[in-house]
Amino acid sequence: MLREWKEREYIPPKNMVKLFVKGSFELSKVMLKNFTKLKKVRQEKVIYRPPKRMYEIPEYKPGMKVVRSDEKYLRPTLFCNPYAKEIIALANHLGAFEKEPYEYANDVFEFVKRNVILQIVPIDGVVATLKRGYGSCIHKISLFIALCRAAGIKARYKLYALTVIDQWYDTFINVDPIMREWYDAMGYFMLHGEGEAYVDGKWVVADVGPTPERQVASGIPITKFGDDSIGIWADAIPGGIMRTESLPLGMGFLSKLMMNISPGSIARMNNNVINMYEKGKKMLEEMGGEEEYMKKMGGGMKMPTMKLEKKGIIFE
Amino acid sequence: MIEKEEYIKKLHSYLKKYVASDPTPGEEALYKPVDIYNVPKKEAEEYKYKSIKYIFKHHYENNSFYHDYCKENNVSPDDIKSIEDFNKIPLIADKFFKSYPEGREFAMWLATLYTGELPSIVIKKKDDHDGIINKFREAGLVVTYSSGTSGKHTFIPRSQRTFNAAEYAIAKSAITMLYPEWEYDINGYLLMPHPFKTNVFAGKVCGMYFDVIKDVRVALERELSADLIQQAMQTNLKGRVIRYAMQRETNKIIDRIINWLRKNDKEGNKISFIGAPFLLYFVMEKLEKDGEYFNFGRKGSIVTGGGWKIYEDKRISTEDFRKKVEEILGIPQELCLDLYGMVEGNGWMTQCPEGHYLHVPNTYYHVRVIDENGEDVAYGEKGRFAFLDGLAHSYPGFIVSGDEVRMYEECPVCHRSTPVLAPEVKRARGSEMRGCAEEMRRVLSMDMGGADA
Repeated sequence: MLREWKEREYIPPKNMVKLFVKGSFELSKVMLKNFTKLKKVRQEKVIYRPPKRMYEIPEYKPGMKVVRSDEKYLRPTLFCNPYAKEIIALANHLGAFEKEPYEYANDVFEFVKRNVILQIVPIDGVVATLKRGYGSCIHKISLFIALCRAAGIKARYKLYALTVIDQWYDTFINVDPIMREWYDAMGYFMLHGEGEAYVDGKWVVADVGPTPERQVASGIPITKFGDDSIGIWADAIPGGIMRTESLPLGMGFLSKLMMNISPGSIARMNNNVINMYEKGKKMLEEMGGEEEYMKKMGGGMKMPTMKLEKKGIIFE
Repeated sequence: MIEKEEYIKKLHSYLKKYVASDPTPGEEALYKPVDIYNVPKKEAEEYKYKSIKYIFKHHYENNSFYHDYCKENNVSPDDIKSIEDFNKIPLIADKFFKSYPEGREFAMWLATLYTGELPSIVIKKKDDHDGIINKFREAGLVVTYSSGTSGKHTFIPRSQRTFNAAEYAIAKSAITMLYPEWEYDINGYLLMPHPFKTNVFAGKVCGMYFDVIKDVRVALERELSADLIQQAMQTNLKGRVIRYAMQRETNKIIDRIINWLRKNDKEGNKISFIGAPFLLYFVMEKLEKDGEYFNFGRKGSIVTGGGWKIYEDKRISTEDFRKKVEEILGIPQELCLDLYGMVEGNGWMTQCPEGHYLHVPNTYYHVRVIDENGEDVAYGEKGRFAFLDGLAHSYPGFIVSGDEVRMYEECPVCHRSTPVLAPEVKRARGSEMRGCAEEMRRVLSMDMGGADA
């Protein structure tokens, strides 16, 4: 079993262990230092209403196609079951086996990015995420990966510790003093990620975490399939990028533990995300849609169109 | 003290190989003025009008995609009758230069971007980006790039003529501001990748350093490719090996620079540094830790460029950097200048020694600061840095950058006649983090005591 765990990358890589140990150590220090503050924060009641699911889950019909393979990056892994009925139904609904792999992966990306709202909740499986309609970036990546794998497209996790732009610092970190002190002590946010799908002979990154509305509210470009969040709204800590087939064992337990330290802080973060989403939605309505927004991102300039010319080039 | 005219004449003689024999109005506007940052306003405007009008007409007539873009925007060279009309010239977002296709189409993309005819360039099926760039180089072009932190570079195809102008401009900009301190008999340290071994613009453009300074050492002898940076960030064995090698290399670089400082101090030589500030910062941190201080005084000068991030979680202001330089190396703050430029342009905004505001070379470079609708903001207000570049002969250099700046009509501190930018330039919200120095820093500063996973 140990060999299988290792092979499927259920055992966290050394870097991730290092990251969690350092994170837990810093968190313990911050908690000890701010014991009274923490007690007060824990007692605070924060009103939180989770967002409603924005889509219907298609009905599963027997005989729907799915790729069942034991190949690396295609098989089920922890919290990511591509054979679940709901996943198969959605994959077929999104055009698996009908569309070209790139087109399908792009549509899966758009579905997950746009419809699943980011909320910090304990790590659980893809079906729970799909039914709920919200989840953390890790939940969203798992859903993306499961939908790709169900259609026979290899997919994996790209996880890293990161520093974020100011606007996201305000949403996630600056919400309460403990969180801020923890981030400042470490100098980075512990874990974020993206999905990667293997299409047309290469791994294509899928930054499914932020909805377009949140990106608009933060004044950053709306990322597309193939756009990396690194360099746009986040910076990975050097040496920290981990590409894995699976989430590691213990992550579910750890995430539950973290939620219990200060549920009020998490609720505040989640409320901030919902507020950002609403703000971005309003902004988009006011400015006439995403195309207009992206035009403005270019400094008010239209992008020239280019008809490629050969000039003096000779292809051998 | 040497007269300024004599000083610039001397510089010009060292830079002769970069001078075009049939100068365009833009090149004339660069070569002719003695002090490009202090040309009387009327004269500067005449130079600028001629430069930009000429270069706009050139691209309109010889670059098909830019011609079409102008048509879409209903603008032609006939519409440009004064400097006020410069606002009509269609600007291209800097992201455009990152939107290249993959494979052999990349070569066609470069060719289309290029204004004018190209010599024959044979591309083989197996040629990747670097292979294609090398083929262009063999044909006499200089394709440089920058900023690949997210995996996408900005590629600019320069003719040798345009690249020469960029090199001439950077040398003249820095040395003019350092008047009267520059002389040929100086020992220099380049804190960038080796100009003759890299295609990274910020490194390559420093090639002129070898012509204006007697003895030049280079901190980074090897190429830091985007691929290497990406690999260094992986957790696999290869990534670890690269990081370990880089850590060792960085420590060696620091030691080499310190030994060089000691030698020049002992011999009483004049020294200069040019390049990324973070490397010199590491050197100064080590010196401070070891309690070693120098007092080069006016025998030292520093010109920095690039990013002001020191570690992932730490930035330093240009002012704090200057103070540290003065404290540790004994070089006065007025001889520690920052320079702001970018791979897409050939103009160099250079800090004045008196107030450290970034002066615009306004004889050939027209700067606009615009809001999100593309309209000019008032002087002193924040907006995006955009420019019309009179030296960009081989590609349309009418560009909106992702940098956020404030421009003032004149320098609040010194007497020079050009508009200025406030000393600290930031990336606008939503713009990708960038900078050649930043790329170099990401690898070299690993394990240097910053927040590392």
